[in-house]
Amino acid sequence: MISLKKYAFRQFKKIETRAHELNYLFWECTTRCNLNCIHCGSDCAKDSTFNDMPLNDFLKAIDTIEGKAPNFTIVFTGGEPLLRNDLEQCGKELRRRGFRWSMVSNGHLYNNERHYSLLNAGMGALTISLDGLEASHNWMRNNSNSFQKVLNAIELAASSKRLNFDVVTCVNQKNINELRQIKDLLLAKNVKAWRLFTIIPIGRAANNPDLQLTDKQFVELMDFIAEQRKSKDIDVKFSCEGYVGKYESLVRDSSFFCRAGINIGSVLIDGSISACPNIDRSFAQGNIYTDNFYEVWQNKFQPFRNRNWTKTGQCKSCREYKDCQGNGFHNWHGNKQNVLVCHHQKIEKGSA
Amino acid sequence: MKNNRIRNVLKGLSFTSAMFIFQACYGTPQDFGYDRLVEGQVTSETTGLPIKGIKVSVAGDNSYYVTTDDEGKFLMYSEKFENLVVGFEDIDGAENGSFRDLFKTVEDISESVYLEIALKDKL
Repeated sequence: MISLKKYAFRQFKKIETRAHELNYLFWECTTRCNLNCIHCGSDCAKDSTFNDMPLNDFLKAIDTIEGKAPNFTIVFTGGEPLLRNDLEQCGKELRRRGFRWSMVSNGHLYNNERHYSLLNAGMGALTISLDGLEASHNWMRNNSNSFQKVLNAIELAASSKRLNFDVVTCVNQKNINELRQIKDLLLAKNVKAWRLFTIIPIGRAANNPDLQLTDKQFVELMDFIAEQRKSKDIDVKFSCEGYVGKYESLVRDSSFFCRAGINIGSVLIDGSISACPNIDRSFAQGNIYTDNFYEVWQNKFQPFRNRNWTKTGQCKSCREYKDCQGNGFHNWHGNKQNVLVCHHQKIEKGSA
Repeated sequence: MKNNRIRNVLKGLSFTSAMFIFQACYGTPQDFGYDRLVEGQVTSETTGLPIKGIKVSVAGDNSYYVTTDDEGKFLMYSEKFENLVVGFEDIDGAENGSFRDLFKTVEDISESVYLEIALKDKL
């Protein structure tokens, strides 16, 4: 018999899904990047074939939103958003319309001047990636100066009381044994929140074994996060990338719930309307250049809101399905006949 | 209303903290709204005309500043605290006229505040 807690959370997810209130929107405002990382969540490139999306095109799309949710956040993502010189203008226009905004950055161009101009323009949250100590971070970034630059950016961001700031780390073969030292480094820089990811084998990461954790290492990562959360000196958590079974209550603030297409939407560089930018682009539900953005949000997104189609491959007979529902949506790529990564299975195998 | 009540009960039963706010995998945390909008216009007390190029800053922290535009207007977001002191300083010499600095205490703690500032000529 399932626990009351589990039953209540399943019902809670159903209500949230039925309501599908949009309150978190990614804007892939550029796919240009100043780095050439070994892994990239969006698989962007220095020689992006897309022009940056003009601010007015994006504004026309979000002006269709009716009954905006409180604390609606628009997240600038890329590519590297700081390559746009009009970010401050974009931010001010969003605030004028009652949206809050934030940014995901590699930190390379985040200097003193930009820090204050972005705050002056109403930036309220920021995420910066740090993928290891100096050698392992620079290896991932393919850049020998990146570590020093990102540390400067982290110091600046952590010094602001009004910024809800966190650092994210993609855990891989090169940095799995550095996690304690990375934590000490972040504490020394006064960082209050740290999110840990693993890398799913898509894009540039698909053929690089150094980027994937073994099952045993994944369990080590779960144990590390669970242990560090007890000390409360920094808010450490595992990202929402997947369902982690027995570790659910130990590594996050809330049980797993992939909100892609339920509360999370996106406007991608070509105008596509989708959910998180790392989701297979074939799931796009419309395009801002041909469709009314909010009508698409309200009336489409069926594959996101009814995930029964994910009961295939190894998910078909899985006993954890009701709590996992096919894992994070970004784990469905290509022919979508099987989930790309099953975190629960990794834990089962890694614990054996 | 009824749905919201049910939602909150289920949220409580599943031990999902009332304060819990989600963040997407590759996204940022949500903005908690710790800032406020400070905007307004700076004019000359003598002529009533707008003044361009006045530095508007939060006193005590020179890092946060903007300068007024052609219409004497400014807009910035500052940290949200009581008795915010906003400074208005003529930093461009005689280029747009010469004016005395002014420091204005803002007691209003609402989400946004509009300031109409008249600067005296420098003697």
